[in-house]
Amino acid sequence: MTKSMLFASRLFFVFLLTSLALVAFAEPNCNIYKMENNMPCYEACVLATTGGGAQGSRASQEKFDKAIEQCPALDYAYMEKSVPYLKRGEFITWKKLIDKAVELNPTLHLGYRGWCRYQFLRDYRGAIKDFERLDTLFPHDIGYSINGDYQLTIVKALCYSAIGEKSKAIEIMETQLGKKGYSPMVYDYLHLGVLKMETGDFNGGIVFLTKSIALNDYLAEPYYYLGLINKSKNLKVEYKTAMEKAKAYYLKGYKRFDPYTHPMHKVYLSDIDRELSIAQTF
Amino acid sequence: MIRKICCLFLLLVVYSSCQKSKAQKSVYPNHVGDIAFDEKTDDPNFKICLNGRIPQYYEFGKSLQYRGEKPAIDKHFEILKLNETTVESGYITIRFIVNCEGKTGRYRIEEMSNDYQPMSFDKNLVEKILTLTKELSGWIVGGNPEQPVDYYQYLTFKIEGGKLIEIMP
Repeated sequence: MTKSMLFASRLFFVFLLTSLALVAFAEPNCNIYKMENNMPCYEACVLATTGGGAQGSRASQEKFDKAIEQCPALDYAYMEKSVPYLKRGEFITWKKLIDKAVELNPTLHLGYRGWCRYQFLRDYRGAIKDFERLDTLFPHDIGYSINGDYQLTIVKALCYSAIGEKSKAIEIMETQLGKKGYSPMVYDYLHLGVLKMETGDFNGGIVFLTKSIALNDYLAEPYYYLGLINKSKNLKVEYKTAMEKAKAYYLKGYKRFDPYTHPMHKVYLSDIDRELSIAQTF
Repeated sequence: MIRKICCLFLLLVVYSSCQKSKAQKSVYPNHVGDIAFDEKTDDPNFKICLNGRIPQYYEFGKSLQYRGEKPAIDKHFEILKLNETTVESGYITIRFIVNCEGKTGRYRIEEMSNDYQPMSFDKNLVEKILTLTKELSGWIVGGNPEQPVDYYQYLTFKIEGGKLIEIMP
């Protein structure tokens, strides 16, 4: 199998996982309420899942209000109503609404709330609380981030690393990666490689950053961090070569990206340029 | 017949005014996050270029658009990391509009504790953050060069013990 075929198959796999993650937050099956003969909730569910204005529009928010009025236990309506507040920086209102969704249906919304606390607010401790509560509900697999990029145990590890518990973060990641049947997600090795590097395990860093490249050679980041390791090891030529490759990839658009926020361990052009100018006189 | 038509007309007028008052009474703006002009606080010289709905920054699929990317913003606020004027912790979010010329206006502030409750930070700190936000001059215009558009942007400042820890999104 050629490298491009291998990447295509992995990309397809990631797409499948992404689809599954989205399905987990897809519209509810309203017929369940009908089968339970709960017609007010059935009608509210149909209303909430039927078109009616763009996300965050007055019509859309009022639609969810009507659905909630008719069926106060409709967690889906609370969750959907909360989303535009999150994306638009009105976090107090977002939290009130998502808390209600979690209260009504923790198994479905805890992982999402934890992910949002991590992604939008860098609320690492809050996210850890949500993920650890989820661990008690789903001991084998706590699910995936809504954007399909991460298994949430890896995100929990990133939260621990951000509050300074890097060894614990590495342990959590290695346990997850070693689980039977777990297929590494697209950024797992990158993060583990960076954490190894940050804790002084340069050889471990090289192993996982190289694995990251083997899994997905469309990122500037692993080259940048490999460059930093080479710099620490005083490998002048390798340092410069890795940074040059990082820059070339960055300029081609091969870099970490999220439409809403800045992902952890993302590098920027100014970071790479700074290292390249150091490499000139190294 | 004329009386019937008049009655029908009156009914239509009453119905239409009911609809209008219903719309006016809505607790929601046209879109969550909309910032209407407030003559008491907003600069009247700050112009919105286009009529109609103003999109959010993420709708362009490019994340935050600033010359020099996020490190340029971090550097601009670096001074706050050194200044410990308060011991408070939480989040300060400033929402605003970037117009089609890359200028900003209509700033709105939300202060929130670490447990997502409304709170008030030290006024000097908030004022400093707002002033520095207003001084940011590298916003990239939304849309494309032929058809630039206004858009909503926000910056959230995570504060711990009075120190700026992270800037989001």
